[in-house]
Amino acid sequence: MTRFPLHNFAGRTAIVLHPSEEPMRRVVERCDRLGIRALPHSGELDRDTAAAADMIVLDIDTGHDGLFPWPAGQAPMPLIGLVGSESPGRLAWALGQAVDAYLPLSALGNLFSALVVAHETFARKPERSRQEREIARQRAGRLDVIRAVLLLVPECGDEASALKQLRTMAMVEQVSIEEAATLLLAKGRTSRAGGR
Amino acid sequence: MALRLGLIFSTSGSYAALGQSALAGALGAISALHRAGTIEIEPVIRDPGGDIAGYESAASDLLDMGVRHILGAITSWSRKEIIPVLERKDGLLWYPCPYEGFECNDHVVYLGAAPNHHVVPATDWIATQGMRRAYLVGSNYVWGWETLRLARERLQAAGIEVMGERYVPLGSTDHAHVVDEIRASGAECVCNSLIGPSNVSFLHDLSTRDLARRNWPGHMVSFNQTEADLDALGPAADGLLSAGSFFEEDAGPALVQAAAAHAPNGRASAFLANAYAAVEILAAAALRAGTDAPRAVFAAASRAPSTTAVGEIRIDPVMRHAALAPRLALAEGGRFRVIERAPAAIPADPYLARQTGCATRRKPDLRIVR
Repeated sequence: MTRFPLHNFAGRTAIVLHPSEEPMRRVVERCDRLGIRALPHSGELDRDTAAAADMIVLDIDTGHDGLFPWPAGQAPMPLIGLVGSESPGRLAWALGQAVDAYLPLSALGNLFSALVVAHETFARKPERSRQEREIARQRAGRLDVIRAVLLLVPECGDEASALKQLRTMAMVEQVSIEEAATLLLAKGRTSRAGGR
Repeated sequence: MALRLGLIFSTSGSYAALGQSALAGALGAISALHRAGTIEIEPVIRDPGGDIAGYESAASDLLDMGVRHILGAITSWSRKEIIPVLERKDGLLWYPCPYEGFECNDHVVYLGAAPNHHVVPATDWIATQGMRRAYLVGSNYVWGWETLRLARERLQAAGIEVMGERYVPLGSTDHAHVVDEIRASGAECVCNSLIGPSNVSFLHDLSTRDLARRNWPGHMVSFNQTEADLDALGPAADGLLSAGSFFEEDAGPALVQAAAAHAPNGRASAFLANAYAAVEILAAAALRAGTDAPRAVFAAASRAPSTTAVGEIRIDPVMRHAALAPRLALAEGGRFRVIERAPAAIPADPYLARQTGCATRRKPDLRIVR
């Protein structure tokens, strides 16, 4: 069954960062119709002000390092970027901030779509971070897997059988193959140390 | 002041009855404004024949001719075909039909019922009738998908079991399996978002194979059934509940006259009434603005409520939708009888930002298990 993304933002608060009156007015009005309390803001954002918001709508044209009270790419809430200039430099800055959804200033009527995409993208970030950490951990463990296979070759006969044996150990212990390799190497070191 | 108005309605093809009704409303209003000496409007009529490919070219031709305002499109699909042309050539579409919401384009004025005017009151009504099981069936495009998604969410939240949900291709009359499923499921209520020939043949088939259903008021619930094509349903429509912003019993002399003069079936429907009102609002706004420039006309139209043949209509300047008073009506003997009506117009909520769940939640069935 299809899982629908968050699509009702009533009761939430958005900080709107834009220096020009017209886009600011249009975003604020549209937020109001969607049940969102929009707080216009100019200049840099401090941590206390940001804490009052559930999302930020920002002007990419005037965005700059130091605009937010957190390191680039680590916003604690969804970011919706309003695209004016399409210059690579401006878009690069927005990408660096990990803006979650982009909305051309000429298409403010589609704010709802940008809100849905931004919230869904933001919600997936922890899972993506977890997957990235897992991949990094697996990569770091590759050398241990090779060492463990080599350790097992004398008793298993060849590399394929040794790898199969390592997989079986991982399955029995209910750990990843990398963790099984690390455990086996540690055990091997202990045995060797004990044997001396 | 003279004004040219493009009228893009499919008055032939699979949903011709709806297009004919809307066109009749527009022509009726144009005639009435002429008779009153208010404004001369030159209608420029195009009939895409229900062929989706015809809408874009029709809109493009009209805008190239210098027409700035178009009243038309029946299905959401056709509206979405026209919008890119309006954006490119700076036109304004006055859309007079009920639709599924989730749109707010700067080149459209939405004058038909939004989901808080049709699905929400209809599902609230179902929840108050003591029904336990519902079945959902719709045409396989955005109207069917969105209205039934919302209906499913609201019915389930009200404790009503959704026994099945099926979509049939646009224009298809191959739905024997759906009728079988409905009969086997014991569903007391069918939410029906089929359009055109699918709707007509489905109601006939279900009614023929399950005669007793006609005796249950609300056994079939529609979010867009009007008098425009009610005659085609015959006795199969008896007991059908429809939600909308207008039914024939509320038609005043202006709409009755427009229907008699211009509608092939002689009947006033929401399509006819909304198209009539659209022309009135456009005419008044153009006169106030002193131009047919789309932005100026829209600003004038949304600045204050407009007096129309269906009453005063206010258009939200931000969301561009009309505030309407929803009604629920039961079909009996080829006519709709309004059984509930909102006391005042309700602003459209196209993104359903301000809706809560169904007003009534049915208590779960508890029984002693031995």
